[in-house]
This record gives sequence, C-alpha cells and structure tokens, in this order.
Amino acid sequence: MSGRYDVAIVGAGVVGCAIARELSRYELRTILIEARSDLGDGVSKGNSAVLSTGADTPFGSLECKLVSRGHQRYVAEAPAMGLPIKAIGSLTVAWNNDERRIVEQLQAETVAAGFHDVVVVGADEIYRRAPHIAPGAVAAMWDPEEGIVDPFSTPYAYALDAVTNGVTFQDRSPVEKAERNGAGWHLHTPRGVVEAGIVINCGGLGAAKIEALGGFSDFVMKPRRGQFLVFDKSARTLLDVVLKPVPTPLYRGILMTPTIFGNILVGPTSEEIDDPDDWRVTQSGIDALLAAVRRLLPQLLDHEITATYCGIRPGTERPEYRIIPRPDERWLTVGGIRSTGLSGSLGIAEHVAGLVVGEMIGGRRKPSHTVVSVPSLAAGERPWLNGKAADPEHCEIMCHCEGITLGEIREAMASPLAPRSLKALKRRTRVMFGRCQGFFCGARVQALFERLSAERST
Amino acid sequence: MMPRDAEVVVVGAGPAGLTTAAALAERGVERVLVVDRDDEAGGLPRFCSHLGFGWEYTHRLETGPGLVRRLLRRLDSNAVTLLTRTSVLSVKPGPKVELVSGRHGHMHVEPRAVVLATGIRERPRSARLVPGKRPAQGILTTGQLQQMVARGVPVGGRRAVVVGTEHVAFSILLTARHAGLDVVAMVGAEDRIMSYAVAGLVARTMGVPIHLSSTVDDIQGADRVESVALRGPSGQRSIACDTVIFSGDFIPDAALMPGSGIAVAAATSGPSVDQYGCTSAPGIFAAGNVLRAVESSGLAAIEGARVGTNVAAYLEGLLAWPDVGTCIRLTEGLAYIVPQRWVPTNDSGYATRSLPISLRALADVPRARLRLIENGKEVWAGREMKVLRHRRLALPAAILDRLRGGDAALHLDPV
Ligand SMILES: Cc1cc2nc3c(=O)[nH]c(=O)nc-3n(C[C@H](O)[C@H](O)[C@H](O)COP(=O)(O)OP(=O)(O)OC[C@H]3O[C@@H](n4cnc5c(N)ncnc54)[C@H](O)[C@@H]3O)c2cc1C
Ligand SMILES: Cc1cc2nc3c(=O)[nH]c(=O)nc-3n(C[C@H](O)[C@H](O)[C@H](O)COP(=O)(O)OP(=O)(O)OC[C@H]3O[C@@H](n4cnc5c(N)ncnc54)[C@H](O)[C@@H]3O)c2cc1C
Repeated sequence: MSGRYDVAIVGAGVVGCAIARELSRYELRTILIEARSDLGDGVSKGNSAVLSTGADTPFGSLECKLVSRGHQRYVAEAPAMGLPIKAIGSLTVAWNNDERRIVEQLQAETVAAGFHDVVVVGADEIYRRAPHIAPGAVAAMWDPEEGIVDPFSTPYAYALDAVTNGVTFQDRSPVEKAERNGAGWHLHTPRGVVEAGIVINCGGLGAAKIEALGGFSDFVMKPRRGQFLVFDKSARTLLDVVLKPVPTPLYRGILMTPTIFGNILVGPTSEEIDDPDDWRVTQSGIDALLAAVRRLLPQLLDHEITATYCGIRPGTERPEYRIIPRPDERWLTVGGIRSTGLSGSLGIAEHVAGLVVGEMIGGRRKPSHTVVSVPSLAAGERPWLNGKAADPEHCEIMCHCEGITLGEIREAMASPLAPRSLKALKRRTRVMFGRCQGFFCGARVQALFERLSAERST
Repeated sequence: MMPRDAEVVVVGAGPAGLTTAAALAERGVERVLVVDRDDEAGGLPRFCSHLGFGWEYTHRLETGPGLVRRLLRRLDSNAVTLLTRTSVLSVKPGPKVELVSGRHGHMHVEPRAVVLATGIRERPRSARLVPGKRPAQGILTTGQLQQMVARGVPVGGRRAVVVGTEHVAFSILLTARHAGLDVVAMVGAEDRIMSYAVAGLVARTMGVPIHLSSTVDDIQGADRVESVALRGPSGQRSIACDTVIFSGDFIPDAALMPGSGIAVAAATSGPSVDQYGCTSAPGIFAAGNVLRAVESSGLAAIEGARVGTNVAAYLEGLLAWPDVGTCIRLTEGLAYIVPQRWVPTNDSGYATRSLPISLRALADVPRARLRLIENGKEVWAGREMKVLRHRRLALPAAILDRLRGGDAALHLDPV
C-alpha cells in the first residue's frame, strides 16, 4: 500500500488518532501509519484512564494549556462519539499537617491558574465522599471536574471517525526509513513507500527513533514504567472518587480510582527503565501497590484482583510535551506526551492541526463531516438495556464476566477497523477482560473470532 | 413452559444443577427451569474426557461427558425445561431472577425458589499476582485449555509449563498431550505434590520433571510466551516454553451474590448455607461447587440431589424457611466447613436430607483427630487420621443431628 498524501501521521496511539480525526475535517489527503497490527497498542493501552482537567500539570506550560483544552473538548465531543465519561471528581488527600500545608498551597496556586472550582475540604467532607478510606485524613483538595473515561475505545473512536471521513489507515507498517525529497518525504515501510507533503511524528516510545530517521535529535527517550492492579467489580462500592496522594514535582503518586467499567484501579508506580520494551509487572511493583492499598483502602484486600498490567510513559529528558513544528523541513514532532496524553489528545490535535494548516501546508475546512459513534462499554450499559433487547444476538452473552454479547463481537468484527487479533478484539469489546480472564469463554470467543476473521477475508 | 411460569429456577446446569432438577421432578415439582449460560448443559465435566467423574453419585467409572449424558437422560422433560445460552444477570430477594437470552430477550422471573449451582473457576495468572510480561498468547488456565481441546480450538503451542500440582494439574498432562503440547515442567509452591503420590509417579514416567517449593518469578515474551523463570531451592532457572498453564487455585463463581441478600462465608467465598442448603436469603438455596472450591463432580451431584429434595419439601410446606441457626465454629487448623450452619430439625421425618459435609484443614498434620464440642461437652470424636490439606476430612453428616442448638465448635487436635 503506497501512495501520495499531503500529511502522513506516524503512530496510531491516542495522540496520532486524535490528530487524524482533526485533519479529516480539512481538505487534505491524510494517512495514519502504524507499526503494529492494531491502533492503540502502544503506550495508550496502559494508563490510569483518568480525564485530567489540567489542574495537575505544570501551570503555564503548553501541556497545561492543551490538557485543559483537551478536557473541555472531550466533555463536549465524547458523547456524540459514544464515549462514556463519568465526572466523579478527585480528592488529593493530606494525611498529616505538613501535607495539609502543601495541599492548601497547591489549591491556592491551582485556583490562581484558572481552575476555579478546586477547593480545600476537611475530614468530614473527605469521609462523606470516600467513607471507606483509612482513618487519619486531615484535609484534601477537591477537584469536582476530574473524570474517568474508556482508554481503549477513545483511540478507536477517533480512528473510526478519521477513516469514515476520508483518512487512510495503514497498519503493520513500521516506518524504517525517511527520505527527504523536494515536495516532502518518502517514508519506507515493509508494506510500501508513502509519499507525504509533511510528516507528523506521533511515535510514542518510538518517537526519538523516528526523529533520527528524519535526521533530528532534539531529545532522547526516558521511559518510565507504571504498574497497576485492577480489583474485581465487587469492590466498586468502596470508592467513588479518584483518590490521590499529595504529589511531588516529579511523581503524582499511586492513585486509586474506579474505572468506567466498574473496577477499582490502583497505580501507577514510577520506575525509570532502560529498555522501552520492558512491559513487565514486577514483584516489587506489586508489593508497593499492595502496601498503598493496605495503608489507604485496606478493605480492598477482601476483593479478588482481576488484572495486573503496566504502562510506559514516553518521557524525554525534560518534563514537558515536545511539540516541535519545522515548517521548512516539513516535519512536525509530537513527542514526550508522557502522562496526560489521553486527556490532552483533543487539545493536542487542535493545536497540531492549527500548526499544519496555519504554518505548514494550509488546507480548507470541509463544509461537513460524518458523525460516527462506538458502542459504550461503561458499567451498566449493556445492549439489552440500550434498546437492543429485541435483537437475539445482542441478548446472547459470550463473555460472562463482562456481559459482552455475540452481537457486540459481530459488530466489532464488521468495523472498517476490524481487530486482527484476539488481543485487539478484547480492547474493542472487553471480551475476556473480566475476572476469569477467559476460563469460561476463552475457547468459544477464540473460535468465533477465527470464524468471523475467515469469513471477512473471503 | 415459559420461563415466567417457573416454580423453581436452577441457575447452572452442571452436575449439581442437573441432579437438583432431577430430584425436584422426582418429588413431583412440575415447573422446573434450569438455565445455563453456556451453549450446552453439563458444566465443567463436559470438557474433561478422562475417567473419574461422578463416582460417588453413580458408582460408575465415567468420563465427564459420559456423566453429563447420564444426568441429562435422567431429567424428566415434562417437568424440567432446560434453557442454555441464557444468563442469569442477578438474583434479588423475593426471590427474583433477571435473565437474558437470545431466545427470550431480557426478562424477570419470580419463582418460589431459586437454586444457585453456578460452580467454580480457576484463578487466572493475574489474580495469582505472578510477575512478568503479559504476552497475548500462551497463558491459560487448565479449564480454558480443556475447553479449547474439547471444542477443537487450536492451542498453537509446543512446549508447556504447568503451574500447580493438584489433581487437575495431572489430568492436564493428558489433555496437553492431546493438544500436541509437550509438558516440559510442572511447578508447585509446596514441598510435596498436592494430588495423590501416584500422580507424581505418572508424571515422572511421562518424563515430566516436577519442581517443588518453586514459584514462577518471571514470564518473558511479546506476542507469545517465550520462557518462564522459576525460583526454587536451587536458585533461579529459566525454562523455554510457549505456553504456561495455571491449574487449580479454584474459587466459587459468586458473581450473583452481591445484592441477592445471600451472606457470603469468608472462608469459602461462597454462600453460607445450613444443612438443607438454605442460604440466608429466603427461598434461595445453593448446591455444588459454588459452595466452596473444590469437591469432585460426584459430591457436587449428591449435593444437588439432596438440595433438590429439600427445595421440594420447602415448596410442599414440609420445611419452614429456617432461621440462621448455629454457626459451627472452627478452631485452629481448620480451613472451612460446608454447611457452615446447622438448624434444629423442623421436618417431621423423611422429607429432607442433610448435605454431605465438606471439611478441610489449613495444613498437613501427620496424626490428628476431629472432635465436635457443644457447650463444652464432647458430642463426637473421630478416629485418629493423617490430615492432608487438600483432602476432604471425613465427618458423617448425621453427627450434626446430635447438636441441640448450643455453642458448637469443631476441633482438629494433633495427637
Ligand atoms: C502509567 C501511566 C499512566 C497514565 N495515566 C494517564 C491518565 O490517567 N490520563 C491521561 O490522560 N494520560 C495518562 N497517561 C498518558 C497517556 O497514556 C499517554 O500520554 C498517551 O497514551 C500517549 O499516546 P501516544 O499516542 O503519544 O503514544 P502511543 O500510544 O505509544 O502511540 C505511538 C504509536 O506509534 C507507533 N510507532 C512507533 N514507532 C513507529 C514507527 N517507526 N512506525 C510506525 N509506527 C510507530 C507505536 O506502535 C504506537 O502505536 C498515562 C501513561 C502511563 C504510562
Ligand atoms: C479443570 C477442571 C478439572 C476437573 N477435573 C475433575 C475430575 O477429574 N473429576 C471430578 O470429579 N471433578 C473434576 N473437576 C471438578 C468438577 O468439574 C466439578 O466438581 C463439577 O463440575 C461441579 O459441578 P457444579 O454443578 O457445582 O458446577 P459446574 O460444573 O461448574 O457448573 C456450573 C454451571 O453453571 C453455569 N453458570 C454459572 N453462572 C451462571 C449464570 N449466571 N447464569 C447461567 N448459568 C451459569 C455454568 O455455565 C456452568 O455450566 C474438575 C474441575 C475443573 C475446573
């Protein structure tokens, strides 16, 4: 698959997908190139899934501006895309008087930065909002706007929107070589050469390597791993806010939060790693997370653990977004989107589209676009409750722990961005993501996946 | 019969659910609905083609599917309606049952009684907190592997490591061979195998090394497992493999309990029941391995049959819904007992049957004896025996009938 495009976006994480969606609103030929066989299979698949307002980013930074804007747009645009949000609010809890002083100062700075809803609350209010946490909380910063979202469906919804509105998606195509020619670049992939007027590097952990292909070396990657525990849905009643420790300048600490799917999530740890591919959950990581649970929400330990996983922050040597437009070189770098990329995605996309059309190649806005939405996988939203009770396939459950139906699997497989692997199907539908991890349904789901994949390819 | 008309809803068509239904029909109950979310009835034994299923109940040497066929043949189709591909979403006090199925859509049923027979599952790798990478392929539980083999789904590997040494870990040796998998090692955390010693011999004859007092410390691989690292008495070792099978570590499938009014027993993670199989929620009974992990399919079948009898007695008014009764206290060394509670008999004679007792110790004891004490007085003392942690301890159910409603405690005294 080769061809000529105005814009080539390299990397289909949440950032690349959001940019593709944004550029699909313009009269531009855009291609989204991804190394792996599915979108959202890099950093974007392992995060805390908290929709930050920007109040926890360095004030005055580009990151702060884009995350605030990203949050605002997500709240406004996600419903039409079918993406669920639950604004449950967050409590940054002080457990002693030193921390109380930090929290008070933090709140004052946060309000001064424009986040006017953020207040300091006392113990009564803390225990009213989070009655099951350990005793001893003295004060907290309450941010009513912080929310939880679906991190898997988000890049998928963006990409589906982009593709529906004319963007080409090319997977299994790691960019291995970039050659400058008069009009732009030739990007070499095992599946052909792509000619593009400009390149947007959204390579996540691979960003510095892609930079090097273009001859740029403004930053080096400093990957930081973060590990998580996911507790069984039976624990959901124990917590209904995002519970955060008092942050330090470099680490926001281990948080505890409900997920949009109805589990309780604990994490992340923060470990500098040398190998950006070291997707390992470690004994010391697990121990640190369990210790935090024991300290802050000990009742969680009465519940089963559904999953463990980790994410790797694509940090660089500087704690900031590395968004670097190079109009002359026809190259735009969107790197270092470390720990807020999900929240910031729509803000980043708007900013980047502004750079592309404003400073790099121009492009007229299309008069209209097609609205696409994805099925909601949020807790409690099942097809038979959402108007599909009369459709037999939407009432036949295949994955019992998560209540995912035959109809949902079929729909995912019929998508223009159909999953090519069971792993991708899991991210699209949540099959086998529940407490049994495939004990009950794994064999049946795999057989179905293979049958539907075969039907599709003939 | 339409689901709405059911007098009794049995949730789960494994051995326990099927014998419950059969017993209900034998006692003249006419509208019994058995629902199962899987595509066919039979529960877990359906996927186990080796011998040894149902022995205590049928006294026959049968495979899992063989047992299922026998149990299904015994169902009276006039009285019992079997509905597969139907999920029970919730059970609420009343009892009220919420169902969803392709055939009937989303519906609510209000039967006079409900029997939970939802069985067990194995804890997956994640719940066991095993460190390492999470390759997309090659990490399985025995139950999943058995189902894949039974359903003809390719397993795709060549070299497997089996984690666990309970009975199922050894039964998987045969399944693995069937799937074209070479088991290159078994790993057990304890210092002995948890199954019968003869199972260890079989493994060794098959050339499978067993690493005891060892745990999995790391898993490597991107798309598929490439190796595991074991930590044991002789240090760390890496074993090249493409499949890791986590076996045993069973847990009741108790998803329906929150919101049902059923009290859960902490020691088993299953419903707390009395000797009739009554949970703490009026009209809701439980039978089979949902009560605890894990007994054989034969015992689950016996439990089902007895609970079925008791449900019939309840419907006929011969068994008044019992109150909580006496909780049998376990003293040091004992892990769990099912039934957890005993109520003074209020049945005039022969209408009900007590559940067999399922009892486990926390650790191996070379010689010990059980004693049942009520209000400080010994009610019963067992014979001296060797206690193995994973083996059922014999305690005749009739012993509980000697209780008079006082403070009852069961002791395991080393001798
Ligand atoms: C532990 C942790 C917790 C987090 N919590 C939150 C949170 O609560 N809220 C929040 O908003 N954010 C959070 N984040 C941050 C968020 O997950 C990231 O900022 C975001 O996912 C980054 O997206 P990306 O698109 O830049 O990277 P990626 O998702 O990694 O996308 C990059 C893509 O580029 C592809 N690629 C790489 N090289 C090439 C090549 N040569 N050719 C073609 N394709 C290539 C990769 O395969 C990949 O798919 C968290 C992150 C971590 C690690
Ligand atoms: C891997 C493995 C190997 C085993 N090997 C042996 C052996 O060799 N010999 C032996 O005697 N025993 C063996 N057992 C144990 C034996 O399978 C069980 O003891 C027996 O199946 C228990 O019967 P049950 O009826 O309690 O539960 P199950 O057989 O587990 O049946 C429960 C049924 O309930 C259904 N169900 C659950 N929840 C719902 C819901 N919400 N709605 C609708 N339906 C629901 C399930 O689909 C299932 O069909 C093995 C178990 C496993 C997992």
